[in-house]
Amino acid sequence: MTYIIEARNMNKKVMLGKGHEIHILKDVNLEIEEGEFVSVMGASGSGKTTLLYNISGMDRLTSGSVKFNGREIGSLKEEELAKIRLKSMGFIFHDINLLKNLSLIDNIMFPALVSTEANKNSVNHKAKKLMKMTGIDKLANHNINQGSGGQLQRAGICRALINDPDIIFGDEPTGALDSKSTEEIMSILGEINKSGTTIMLVTHDVKVAAKTERILFMVDGNIVSHKKMRKYDAQQNDSREREEDLLKWLVENGF
Amino acid sequence: MFLKIVKNDFIRNKISTISVLLFITMAVILATSAVNNVTTLIQSMAKLEERAVPADIAQMHTGEFDQAEIDRFTLQYRDHIAMQETMILQNVDGSNIHFSQNQTLAGTIQDISFVVQNRKFDFILNLDNEKLDVKEGFVAVPIYFMEQHDLKIGDTITVKSGGYEKEFVISDYARDFEMNSSLTSSKRFVINHNDFHEMFVIGPGEMEYLIEFKLNKNGDADTVQTAYIEAGLPANGPSIRGKMFLLFNAMSDIAVAMVIILISILLLIIAFLCIRLTFLASIDEDLREIGVMKAMGISKEDIKKVYLNKYRAISLIAGIIGYLLSLATVNLLNGNIKLYISSDLSGSLNYLLSLIAPLLVYFIIVMYCKRVLKRIDKISAVEALRRDSIEHGKNGKHHFPLIKNKFFSINIYMGLVDVWKRFKLYRLLFVIFIVCTFIVILPVNIFNTMTSPEFSTYMGIGKQDMRIDLRRTDRITEDFIKLQQELENDNDIEKFATYVTSSYPVKNEEGSWNYMNIEIGDFSAFPLNYLEGRGPEREGEISLSFANAAKDGLNKQVGDEVTVRVGGREQSLTVTGIYQDITNGGKTAKANANLGVNEKAVLWYIVSMDMVDGVNIPAKMDYYQNAYSTAQVNDIKEYTQQTLGNIINQMGTVVIGGIAIAIIIAVLITALFLRMLLSKDISQIAIMRSVGLTLKQINHQYMAGTMMVLVVGIILGVVIANLLGEFLVSMAMSSMGAAKIEFVHIVWQTWLLCPLALITTVGWTIFMSCKVAVKDDLSVVLRS
Repeated sequence: MTYIIEARNMNKKVMLGKGHEIHILKDVNLEIEEGEFVSVMGASGSGKTTLLYNISGMDRLTSGSVKFNGREIGSLKEEELAKIRLKSMGFIFHDINLLKNLSLIDNIMFPALVSTEANKNSVNHKAKKLMKMTGIDKLANHNINQGSGGQLQRAGICRALINDPDIIFGDEPTGALDSKSTEEIMSILGEINKSGTTIMLVTHDVKVAAKTERILFMVDGNIVSHKKMRKYDAQQNDSREREEDLLKWLVENGF
Repeated sequence: MFLKIVKNDFIRNKISTISVLLFITMAVILATSAVNNVTTLIQSMAKLEERAVPADIAQMHTGEFDQAEIDRFTLQYRDHIAMQETMILQNVDGSNIHFSQNQTLAGTIQDISFVVQNRKFDFILNLDNEKLDVKEGFVAVPIYFMEQHDLKIGDTITVKSGGYEKEFVISDYARDFEMNSSLTSSKRFVINHNDFHEMFVIGPGEMEYLIEFKLNKNGDADTVQTAYIEAGLPANGPSIRGKMFLLFNAMSDIAVAMVIILISILLLIIAFLCIRLTFLASIDEDLREIGVMKAMGISKEDIKKVYLNKYRAISLIAGIIGYLLSLATVNLLNGNIKLYISSDLSGSLNYLLSLIAPLLVYFIIVMYCKRVLKRIDKISAVEALRRDSIEHGKNGKHHFPLIKNKFFSINIYMGLVDVWKRFKLYRLLFVIFIVCTFIVILPVNIFNTMTSPEFSTYMGIGKQDMRIDLRRTDRITEDFIKLQQELENDNDIEKFATYVTSSYPVKNEEGSWNYMNIEIGDFSAFPLNYLEGRGPEREGEISLSFANAAKDGLNKQVGDEVTVRVGGREQSLTVTGIYQDITNGGKTAKANANLGVNEKAVLWYIVSMDMVDGVNIPAKMDYYQNAYSTAQVNDIKEYTQQTLGNIINQMGTVVIGGIAIAIIIAVLITALFLRMLLSKDISQIAIMRSVGLTLKQINHQYMAGTMMVLVVGIILGVVIANLLGEFLVSMAMSSMGAAKIEFVHIVWQTWLLCPLALITTVGWTIFMSCKVAVKDDLSVVLRS
């Protein structure tokens, strides 16, 4: 079994004002297998997003270690970390976070063009292909203030995919979307996962988590439980059962 | 509550608040100093005038002279004339005045004369503005020479000429209202009556008379001057009006005050731009709070007051600090006034009046803030809560798709696109770079123009290698003939031309006659640049200086006729051209040689010449100076430098000051701007980092953008300084007689050295300031 992420004794403390320290992650251990589709659930303030940001190297742990593809990322220099984020990781944010000066297609192509070996034409071709796949190909040259939340989030997904990452992290990627857009985004993410990309996302939404194959449940900075489910297949038409099953498990765990 | 908000705001925006405070303080210091300086100048000029009682009309004359005729004239016009006095000037050539060890005053372009103190008016004063009373064996030397040759009280000067030799001890410096300025070409040394008499008897000098009139309060100078000329009284030298003395005295100080006021206006503009930027940045940051306050029902006036009060406080503090500091800086500026006009600058009126500057700055800033704050009116509570920036941005602007970028690396391209998309923001920096380049280049251009041989154009002189001036002496005509013969036989001389300046009666607009100096000769040999038309090539032609052709002169245009009386006969001359001339009060004229010399009123002879290539010009100058001891031999550069000495020196200081101020401003604002820009863009920077950009790549984006703004700003600044600068300087100089100044560009200075100095220092600032600091975890920004 190959782990893409192996985290041991993760601790994260932050200072809030003078002398006031809070302990967000408390000795968290976690492994994520290659190709897995994982979601993290828990109440607000339980440490879900902090876990995501620390695993991905965006934040630095107070103590503990995180190995990405077998490589310890805590000791890497800023430039090496940036390279890993550029080539091997993709991010989808709750607030979408696109660059204001660029059009949608330029936002998508930007991470690929930054890498020196990029061929502009093939990047452009790939961006268009991804936009078509996510249904926003007609908005290629639009500004970011000309798209709806769902359309922009699709652009965010395209951006995350442009460099063929090994893993995609999603911080409540559907949190600001309506139910229809949520369905569509989850369907896209499901397809991406099927093609072999590992996905880890944080969510409050049971419907979203029910479409993943492993659910981690966090309470007060610890992963207290996890639930393994069968890979979701839209063809099987069992969404409702999965959601009910998950909800029941969550209630049992004090959700 | 108010103090708490101001204090918190200060802590949050320390650097921007300090910068705004600094710029307003600097603007107040300069504006206050300039106002103080101008007030002091006006006050001390009035005091000096009161003590020196200068003449309203001064007429120079050489040759035969009868005081009785003048007394009769004075009596006849007693309705106009209050007093008359004739001063006898014993002109001594500079080469006959020895000082220090083996030094003489040879080579000076000034006419030197020895005089005794007048009895009724036109008094020459000491540095305490008291009437000079020079004891036997002593001399009071003009301030001009004291500065030029570092003469000290107690030093000696010796006058040696023919059989006359006498040593004088310097007892005082002579502050001479009429002839203080380097622009007045005569200087008076004051000696005791007995020494004067001895000198008169032995006669080392040429006699000249200064016939002076002090008018009654209602006396009309025009009437007196015209009547004097009509009466055929002695008048073969230049005639000068009282207001001209005033202008010459004040000119260099007024020029400096104007430059300082200009710089302080530029600083204020910079302060405005900073305020605008800090306002927009802080309103952007506080947009949610503004929304909450509006939603709570707090009136927009009260919300605005929160922001406005801060700038009220800053302007008040800057006003007080600036005013207090100006008390010290004003002493740096009034050195010239102290020396030439009044040593005692005590008095409180100037300090009181200069309070106008900080008050004006305060009100301008508050008004400007109110204007900028109108933006708050425009946004509703809901909008404020929903929008994350008050600026709409330029999304409608032309796109620069990344795919189309062929020349730059992606990060440089992003930096350039950012400038295009957010030009409103970068505008501040852009204007600053233009202004700073302007502040550097304009004084450099003025300095280079003034010190270049081409500047002779504005002095009514064509470009030439060397010039010999023969002033009026008994031997003047013989010397002139001899010199011409010698020049014809001198193989080192490529060409030469002679010019004779005499005084002619010229009919003015009212139909009465005024005396005017007309230079005659061949003006094609050393041609001038004419503003309009051409030189007087044929008989019956004349060209006028700009001031002479202007409305308050003869009011003539090219093609008009001027009536001149020569040898008792009236001649009508056609105006062929108008040229620029700042010498002799700006009013000169040049006519074709066929006009004929007014033998009775020859003022001076000038010989202009060019040397054959390779001739040692200084050696040639020495030769002719020794051969013709009474002549003044100069190259044109030296001539202009001696005439404009003070102004050139002060301009030199302004050049250095300009470069220093420009660099300080550019560095400070760039650092401030980038700091604000980086903090404004913190979330965009975090997004770029999250997708895998290194800090170095992000730095490159900001560096590329700001460097482009810097380079374009500098290029535009140089162009504007060259074009607008010429216009501004021409405007300022038109009162002196030069209406169209064309700068002399020293290309490597204006296009290479000055821009390079700015690019290096500001580039370094950009490099240092663009370093994005990594303090917090990325999630802190991305999640906020």
